[in-house]
Amino acid sequence: MQFLKDIVPAALNNINTKFIVLDKGRIDLEGQHKTCLALVADETAAVHFQMWGDECDVFEPGDIIRLENGIFSYIRNNRNNHVLRAGKRGKAEKVGEFTMAYVEKPNMSEIHWVPDPKNPKIYLPVDFTSYISSTH
Amino acid sequence: MALKITERGIHEAENPIEVSFREAFELLKPQLNPPFTLKVLTKEEYSNLNKALIFGIFSQPNLAEVHIKHLHAIVIDGYDLFTCMLVKIVDELYVKLVDSVKIQLIWVTKEMLNVLAIGFDKLMVALLRQIVGGDFSEGNLWLCLEMVALFLANWDCLLEEEPLMLNKGLYVFLRLLADHYGVPSNPMIDGLKRMEVVFCVRLLREQFLLCLKIGRDLIRLLQDLVHIPEFKAIWRDLLLNPRHFGVDGFKDISQIYHTKTPSSYFLLRVTPEMETKLRFLLTHVKLGNQKRYQVWFAKKFLGVPGSEVILTDIVRFICCSVHPSSEIMQPDILPRWAVIGWLLTSCRKSYVQANLKLALFYDWLFYDETTDNVMNIEPAILLMVNSIPNYIEVTRTLLEFLLIVVDNYDIERKEIVSRGVSTALSTLVKRGVVSSLDVLTRCDMIAPVHREMFGKLVLVMQGIHSQKIGSASIIHDISPPPSHLLSSSLGSQHPNRVNCN
Repeated sequence: MQFLKDIVPAALNNINTKFIVLDKGRIDLEGQHKTCLALVADETAAVHFQMWGDECDVFEPGDIIRLENGIFSYIRNNRNNHVLRAGKRGKAEKVGEFTMAYVEKPNMSEIHWVPDPKNPKIYLPVDFTSYISSTH
Repeated sequence: MALKITERGIHEAENPIEVSFREAFELLKPQLNPPFTLKVLTKEEYSNLNKALIFGIFSQPNLAEVHIKHLHAIVIDGYDLFTCMLVKIVDELYVKLVDSVKIQLIWVTKEMLNVLAIGFDKLMVALLRQIVGGDFSEGNLWLCLEMVALFLANWDCLLEEEPLMLNKGLYVFLRLLADHYGVPSNPMIDGLKRMEVVFCVRLLREQFLLCLKIGRDLIRLLQDLVHIPEFKAIWRDLLLNPRHFGVDGFKDISQIYHTKTPSSYFLLRVTPEMETKLRFLLTHVKLGNQKRYQVWFAKKFLGVPGSEVILTDIVRFICCSVHPSSEIMQPDILPRWAVIGWLLTSCRKSYVQANLKLALFYDWLFYDETTDNVMNIEPAILLMVNSIPNYIEVTRTLLEFLLIVVDNYDIERKEIVSRGVSTALSTLVKRGVVSSLDVLTRCDMIAPVHREMFGKLVLVMQGIHSQKIGSASIIHDISPPPSHLLSSSLGSQHPNRVNCN
């Protein structure tokens, strides 16, 4: 189980984590499917979580969700905004309510991520890359 | 399809407790039919068989008799483990259990009572706690009806084996009667009310000595029922004819005032789910970070019309049953007074608000340093003092209420209440909960007349009646309170303020 502060973008369904839903945005239609962006958090960080299909109706603020094999990547048409989601291979399930502490900062979706110049498969937060270039 | 005992929504993880019970059942299924093997079991095997039998009783109602016979044949611990497991299921899963399982649960509870299983009382308490105050849904009324019927049907057995269980039933059903008399009648609720009245009145009339063990909150609950004829008669005897209860040494209602209610009673009117969430608020949530949790709590428990009545139960629970240890009482964790302040401001109905204030101050009225706990009276003073800078209206309304209560709660026994409140104030200062009461007596945002009346209580507290004291300037001329104050709402009224005849 990962803390949200430790997630980094990748094109892999490799994120196993648990968080509490703080707020839900408007439910939209993407083709035939409902989507809904939510603010979720654990005790280390917050992130935007994209609900998909039935998840949009079922998950409510205050619900504690366990995400298995989730993915943290940019969403269609918006390379600057990374969101967490279950994706086709992942699974998000409600495991409880209320009893989870959280912080709203940092928000991992608000961090500007760029590919690592040395290995484009790995993303680094912008602050971090400037830190690296200044020390090298 | 796999057998299930709970309703599960889509995208909802299966509950680990249910999984472990089902696994035990699946594992032992071949052994659950007669003839039963009666070999000596290891601890783990015994535990698994108990789980399997519970799952069988719940999911195969037609075979429940077989499973219970099996249980009676193999039991070696007086059913201790079996009832423990049932309590865990009730506490953690009751709301989600499918209806047929709830019916089985009541059936197996009756069985446990019949064999006087170790822990049957804990199982009954667990079920009582699942009856939600202010909830008139069919499922909730059904549980209420099953439980009151269980108490009535097992009266003699309970009286002999576990008399305090009857007291717990009394506490719950007195409190629920107030709810049930507050809604329009229908056949289900009318039948339920009759049974609740029969149970409560019988216990009060026949076993009053036992009832006295509940302590002062018994009076607080009876106040809400004074309009019901049977309880009006009880009130008349309490006030005018105490010997009628046939308890040697019981001469006056004030004897009940002086008994602190054991904290276990307050748990009876808070569901385990509410308890978990409130305790989480008071141990893990930082002050300033509580907003969302409050919204979620209100949505879950206070959203339905009529549910506000549980606020009083919650306040008694927080004051008397949640006493954070010193490690938790850190400055950054949400304190009890702040939660109560939020509950007070979320009250929309004035009579609920008055009952909530009475619940908050109730231990003040009869405070005795030798038997009472300062933690029970701490939230009220801290709420008053800490509200001065930004929520002066809260301070005003609480102080005004306290002053009205002192003069009017029980006009025949005014000096008892006044002494109780003064002792409470003196204890709060002495124990350092507040460094002094000047912050209230000198606060110019509080009406002078209220400061004067409060100063009078402070005077009593200091045991000084005529000499000069530090804050004499505000108390030199104590005039009677203006009459409009006396007509203010006291919430449910103590019958000494209403015509009992």
